[in-house]
Amino acid sequence: MRLTHTFLAVLFTWVGFVSAIVASDQIPAPPQTRPIALIGGTIHTLSGATIEDGILLFENGKITAIGQNVTLPDNTRKIDIRGKHVYPALISANTVIGLTEINAVRATRDFAEVGQINPNVRAEVAINPDSEIIPVTRANGIALALSVPIGGLIAGTSALIMLDGWTWEEMTLKAPVGLHIRWPRMQIVESRYYIRRRSPEEQKKEIEKSLKRIRQAFADARAYWKAKQAEARKGIPYHATDARWEAMIPVLKGDVPVFVHADDILQIQSAIEWATMEKVRLVIVGGYDSWRVADVLREKDIPVIIGGVHRLPFRRWEPYDTPFTLAKKLYDAGVKFCIATGGGPFGAAHERNLPYHAATAAAYGLPREEALKAVTLYPAEILGVADRVGSLEVGKDATLIVTNGDPLEITTRIEMEFIQGREIDLSSRHTQLYTKYKQKYIQKGLLPAEE
Amino acid sequence: MGRMYLRSFFVGLFVFLLLAFPVTGQQTKPIEGIRENTPRVHALINARIVTAPGQIIEKGTVVIRDGVIVQAGANVEPPADARIWDYAGKTIYPGFIEPYFQPAQPRKGPQQRPTPSGSFSGSRQRETMPQSIGPAHWNPRVHPERTALKTYKPDEKQLKTYHRLGFTTALLVPQKGIFRGSSALIHLKKGELNAITIQKDVAQHLTFERGGFRSRTYPGSLMGAIALIRQTFLDARWYRDAWNAYRLQPHGQEPPEVNLALEALQPVIGQQQPVVFAVENERDFLRAHKIFKEFHLKGWIKGSGYEYRLLTAIRDTRLPVILPVNYPQKLKLDTPEDALNVSLQELQHWEAAPDNARWLAEAGLPIAFTTHELKKTDQFWENVRLSVKRGLSPEIALAALTTQAARILGVEDRLGSVASGKLANLVITDGDIFDQETQILDVWIAGERIEVQEQPPVDPRGIWEAHFNLPDGTRITGELEIKGKLNRLQGKLTVQDQTIRLDRVYLEFQRLGLVFKGDSLGYAGFLRLSASLLPGKFSGKGELPDGQPFTWEAQYLKPVPEKPKKSKKPTLMEQPAQLPPFPPGAYGRKSLPEQPEYILVKNATIWTSGPQGILENADMLIKRGKIVKLGQNLSAPEDAVVIDATGKHVTPGLIDAHSHSGIDGGVNEATQAVTAEVRIQDVINSHHIAFYRELAGGLTMSNLLHGSANPIGGQNAVVKLRWGAPPDEFLYRPAPPGIKFALGENVKQSNWGDQFTTRYPQTRMGVEQIIRDRFQAALDYKKQWEQYRKLPKKIRRRTIPPRRDLELETLLEILEGKRWIHSHSYRQDEILMLIRVAEEFGFTIGVFQHVLEGYKIAEAIQAHGAGASTFSDWWAYKFEVYDAIPYNGALMHDVGVVVSYNSDSNELARRLNTEAAKAVKYGGLSPEEALKLVTINPARQLKVDHRVGSLEPGKDADFVIWSGNPLSTYTICEQTWIEGRKYFDREEDLQMRKMVEKERARLIQKYLAVQKEKKKKGMPDKPNPSGRPGYRPHE
Repeated sequence: MRLTHTFLAVLFTWVGFVSAIVASDQIPAPPQTRPIALIGGTIHTLSGATIEDGILLFENGKITAIGQNVTLPDNTRKIDIRGKHVYPALISANTVIGLTEINAVRATRDFAEVGQINPNVRAEVAINPDSEIIPVTRANGIALALSVPIGGLIAGTSALIMLDGWTWEEMTLKAPVGLHIRWPRMQIVESRYYIRRRSPEEQKKEIEKSLKRIRQAFADARAYWKAKQAEARKGIPYHATDARWEAMIPVLKGDVPVFVHADDILQIQSAIEWATMEKVRLVIVGGYDSWRVADVLREKDIPVIIGGVHRLPFRRWEPYDTPFTLAKKLYDAGVKFCIATGGGPFGAAHERNLPYHAATAAAYGLPREEALKAVTLYPAEILGVADRVGSLEVGKDATLIVTNGDPLEITTRIEMEFIQGREIDLSSRHTQLYTKYKQKYIQKGLLPAEE
Repeated sequence: MGRMYLRSFFVGLFVFLLLAFPVTGQQTKPIEGIRENTPRVHALINARIVTAPGQIIEKGTVVIRDGVIVQAGANVEPPADARIWDYAGKTIYPGFIEPYFQPAQPRKGPQQRPTPSGSFSGSRQRETMPQSIGPAHWNPRVHPERTALKTYKPDEKQLKTYHRLGFTTALLVPQKGIFRGSSALIHLKKGELNAITIQKDVAQHLTFERGGFRSRTYPGSLMGAIALIRQTFLDARWYRDAWNAYRLQPHGQEPPEVNLALEALQPVIGQQQPVVFAVENERDFLRAHKIFKEFHLKGWIKGSGYEYRLLTAIRDTRLPVILPVNYPQKLKLDTPEDALNVSLQELQHWEAAPDNARWLAEAGLPIAFTTHELKKTDQFWENVRLSVKRGLSPEIALAALTTQAARILGVEDRLGSVASGKLANLVITDGDIFDQETQILDVWIAGERIEVQEQPPVDPRGIWEAHFNLPDGTRITGELEIKGKLNRLQGKLTVQDQTIRLDRVYLEFQRLGLVFKGDSLGYAGFLRLSASLLPGKFSGKGELPDGQPFTWEAQYLKPVPEKPKKSKKPTLMEQPAQLPPFPPGAYGRKSLPEQPEYILVKNATIWTSGPQGILENADMLIKRGKIVKLGQNLSAPEDAVVIDATGKHVTPGLIDAHSHSGIDGGVNEATQAVTAEVRIQDVINSHHIAFYRELAGGLTMSNLLHGSANPIGGQNAVVKLRWGAPPDEFLYRPAPPGIKFALGENVKQSNWGDQFTTRYPQTRMGVEQIIRDRFQAALDYKKQWEQYRKLPKKIRRRTIPPRRDLELETLLEILEGKRWIHSHSYRQDEILMLIRVAEEFGFTIGVFQHVLEGYKIAEAIQAHGAGASTFSDWWAYKFEVYDAIPYNGALMHDVGVVVSYNSDSNELARRLNTEAAKAVKYGGLSPEEALKLVTINPARQLKVDHRVGSLEPGKDADFVIWSGNPLSTYTICEQTWIEGRKYFDREEDLQMRKMVEKERARLIQKYLAVQKEKKKKGMPDKPNPSGRPGYRPHE
């Protein structure tokens, strides 16, 4: 029995290696056709107890059993992962993955539509399944990414995508996830270094104008919704469709939350006040200063997607570790939070470093278990998909990783990854080029030939 | 003593001769109409005369004849022909000197803002540079040949403002540019420039003005401005030598170029004309001083008000300073949220700015005051008086406006004191100039009285005995008291023990008007009176409420008694501040950390990055900043500082081979493709908070590089992060010099925007050619000098010499193997190209930076002998990094290249240890080898591995104590040491945070209390009079 497992494991590794050199691109995995059991590893469920020497069984993309004594169906593919660890796959909650390839090349930028008010644009329809960034990201254990449009004030709706699939439709786990608003910067900058810069009064006006535009958009959308609802009644004429306001109806209904990108305390306070007046569900993204209003956030149950741990303090006088300790402060204050990266066009290619953001938060005080949840279960909860992903539970998607250690440690390897039970190719443009150029040096006798 | 005596004898003799042979009133302009010959002889009598700071004649006379003081003293008899001015009760001061005077901007025509000294526009708009006319300097910011006088037009409104402050003389300074031109000393009065100019070409004025990154006109950075200044002074020397040679031998030689700018600089390099550097912060002060030293210039600095931040270093320059008094007034602190965005630096500056002058004076630097940079010139006295209240000696403050200012400007023989022979420029006040209440009444400029406070021929203020001759024949006598300001008089009438407040008292055309209610005198209604004023009495008419007329008159009795002044408790704002620590703001220090004689680190896991590998449970002994020994159970002398590092890991201080932290005034000199002459070492900002934050991540050394905008960029600076030391002490001198090169997209401006398509090069082909061409130019340059030096001495004297060229000299150092190239590079083709060019020119490249396709060409890098400093895992941000892979470092390492991981980012530079861990993940380096990517390997690349980079006996004790394995993401840096001094300690940091909070709270409270105090005093709460609202110069 054990021998078979080992054999299968070896076979798998070998197949993976071969595919890595011959594939010109990574081929999306086929659907799971028979049950798979991961046997003998430590199962970090995150929602429940950690199980040593356990078995995790999944069929048709769903977890069907977790435990030490699991009866395996006959045709189960058994994978021996003794000494290894199973975790739910990581979720990146603030990215532009799929919407950009090379930020400096304008033709590859699809994340910012023209204009200030774009509630109707949808991230999922512009996801490029063949983006080279996707395999690179998932190879580090990140199987799900929230792809976020970032242009203008109301930027559009985000989509949670699985990082494998033939089309954006196949890849989309949930859309729309949120309507994204980039809150205007509210700090008035007075600096003589910018002689032609706008005066404080002009800046104030500009901020007022932006805030007004957001309020106006919501007021217009409400008016539109009301008019559309009234249409059914006698004597009420038909109202021509407005794509923008149409797209906002789910937000007004409370089905889709508003994700406000805000870092400065003035922005966060303003967004909270606004959301309370508008009676919409609010999620803060970024949240640099969110700990300063932690009590309000907890009281109003507003979650925070921390927009990067690896960033500099905003203010010269703040402690050097201010961004490192944000997660701990929110945790201590009982605010719902998860850890993401800073996102943005430059961030997409570096999304793979998400786990290390969480690790730094742990290094500076957040309990390690919480750090792990902050990139798995908590983003699933905040993005409204905790019933499907984010932890290892029976009935949830078999979207998980097998590692040789703590995934928040850089030196840990991700050895296997499954998305809805489909076994993912962990090779990427990077491993391909690595393999290719190793060959160059083997040919030249500068590196020993590999076995 | 004898000489002094002789000197005053000659002055006296001269003044005597002057009296005998008046030669005044000479003017070349023909007189139209009738000549004006009003005598210009005045005697100012009965005044208290402050002839110079600390020298007072309690009651004396000043005699002025034809614009010059001929006598000043206690027992001076006014000459018979003099007009007499009785200044009893008034004080005469020497006229104040404004040493940095910019003319008012023309109110119409193109919008021109006054240029703050050294200001630059960071804007993307294209600047319009005025083209110089004639044989000028090639750079539009270099026009030393201009003179401020040429465009000056006295502006009545501006002059009035200055007269109100007591200024009579000013150094009119030219505006705009780096070499701005010559200033002139002028009388602050109307008139033909021919007459009001006291001295032209007083000084040459310099600033560090520059454009921004996207500016097209060199320089676009501070380091570029410095390089341009240095090259221009060298050119001026060459110009002198070239013309000297040519004059000896005009036959058979082409003449050297004619250049008005270089010609105008001849008196400067010959030390006949002083230089004034206007700087915008304390670091620029030291930068200017270096230029003074390098080119043996004389002159002074127009300071910034921030000098206290580098007081010791600035004291040592011994340079005189002109100080602005633009103390910050208004901070946005009203709500807790607002206050977050006001840094401790700003708060400290708000508190400390008024003490800057005192600290400089105590340090022994000559100082003078200027109104320059005050948004509201009227604020001047309020601020100077505040400094005096804070403890600046009144003598020094007065000297700063008179004698010292004159001395700095080199005109102390003519101005600055009230003495015979000096120009008749005086200030008349009604009291001590440093008193809050004191007003300036008159100024005298060039012997002409200019009224500041309108004085009526007869002053109605005082107590008068008034007699009213009423229509019924009765005559009432009362006491009339009139006081207040002339335009806001008030008064009361006391008749038969009844006091009536006057409803209206006013003076118009020497007629006094009074209105008061007569009810208490038995006349129901208002009485209206008028009177003509004569000295000592008035007489006039009145009307009773019923319209009946009467007459009245009054005789002067005595002045209105002054209320005895209460000795005021100093207000909060008047209490002197403490000198802030350095660097200013949060996490500053009072002094550098101590260096213990011996340090013993015990029981640590020591990653030596050296031959000893990783030592478990080991000790490290340090003596005077150097490592003595590593091993187990080491002993140390009794007084050694022992650090128990049980459970901890110790590594060498981390080294960042590619950083742009703490660079002042622009990282790129992006205006030209080749800028080898600019130097990062000129622009280190030692108090940039990035350095402290990096120390907190275990970093001890950084290679500060020029940006990658040019194929050939500027010179680098290797620094140790000695937080708390001045800029020069950051520089790590054992590091050999280097220079930044760059290849690919950045230098061909691919991602700069569509308007950048014309600078050469725009292709990688052109990049190769421009580099090649410049190296060839350097060789040609060398040849030129060799040939010149070979000439026989006699012929050489007559031969026009080659010009020294800072750019080519730098490039020559590369070719001679004295300077190492750090080349920004991405694609394999360009990497190979530069290797081949270098090989052709016979030198070795130091380090390929970024080198993200280095893995494709590792064998060539290895064979050439260059290092490779790369990112651990950056990619895909532009097209040329689409093939970048995180295995790059490991693969190059495996092929034998010396590899380091760098940050290129103030953020990433704080966690290079975990960057190194990525080499374990991607490519399978051992942990020990991986750590070397941020310790000994960058040290080897910077050629400082004999001193730093590993923990070995004899090396610098630069080390870090970590909470655990340095490659673990859960590990934090606990202590960072440089040469046996502890520059970072997490425990200390936690304490400092509390201090920062406390200090912020104290200053915010003080600020609010001061605002309240001001309100109470009824002082207008002027918004931002400093002209620098919310100015954050360093963040």
